[in-house]
Amino acid sequence: MSKSLLIISRQAPWSGPAAREALDIVLAGGAFDLPIGLLFMDDGVFQLMPGQNAKALQQKDLTANLQALSLFGIDALYACADSLADRGIFPTQVAGEDLEVLTAEELGALVNRYDQVITL
Amino acid sequence: MSTLHVLSHSPFTDSRLGSCLRLLGSEDALLLCGDAVHAVQPRSLPLEALEERGDSLRLFLLDEDLQARGLECPAWATSVDYPAFVELSIRYDKVNTWL
Amino acid sequence: MSTLTVNGQAIALDKDGYLVELSDWSPEVAAALATREELELSPEHWEILELLRGFYQEFELSPATRPLIKYTALKLGADKGNSLHLNRLFKGTPAKLAAKLAGLPKPTNCL
Repeated sequence: MSKSLLIISRQAPWSGPAAREALDIVLAGGAFDLPIGLLFMDDGVFQLMPGQNAKALQQKDLTANLQALSLFGIDALYACADSLADRGIFPTQVAGEDLEVLTAEELGALVNRYDQVITL
Repeated sequence: MSTLHVLSHSPFTDSRLGSCLRLLGSEDALLLCGDAVHAVQPRSLPLEALEERGDSLRLFLLDEDLQARGLECPAWATSVDYPAFVELSIRYDKVNTWL
Repeated sequence: MSTLTVNGQAIALDKDGYLVELSDWSPEVAAALATREELELSPEHWEILELLRGFYQEFELSPATRPLIKYTALKLGADKGNSLHLNRLFKGTPAKLAAKLAGLPKPTNCL
């Protein structure tokens, strides 16, 4: 049994390479069939917002990539409820089929469940 | 599974410490090194947040980083050297470094 | 780097034979790229190439093998979205070769 891996992505989408790097780890892990979870926390929740336009900054569209995750075998997606609330974002604004919004207590349990954690 | 969370950024410039405390489990421990040791700056907000956790928080601080900054290790926390840091990272099931 | 000449136009390719400029792609370019790979494009090939271009437009990613199979099954059914069919069409390396012919970047997560 391969080890499960939780990626915590906590940087905004267009501020630097961190969000992209977190996603690359997820996609690479998915290609190897690892059990992978992706948690959006802090500014990372901004990655989930609709209506973004990467072209305005001549960048690749990270948010389009996120839509492909289920095809890459990754359907364990989580968002931190407090991080959303701090930023005035309603969970309904970022809701996706596979996205689960977690409270602080649930976050602790989530981290606990995975064999390895990488925070970017 | 227990996790050792390792922070190295100053708590005054970003949200790592707050977020880490949010998901810190009862089996987990927190190790501060580098600028993260400024969290025990007397009378500061981060120190208050740490003290609020009371006995449930297991806090380790890297001794040389404390010394370099002229900071004292609070009585309820433990200061460690590098060999002890290594020992801790083996004792916990996993290490989560907040990059 | 090398070039491919299609209808008198020089098209730049990278060291692995992928288009340098994705906007250079046209069906003629695809056919010329296929010739380089000693492959003749049948309607079954074209169907996958179109699918891949759609995938790229939607997700801005070149799929690795597994997602390619999943996506093909989703859009064209399980009799086409399986490794046997895709391997047969694209000489055993569908993710890499089909992406090349469809004018997509090399799949980055195909390690």
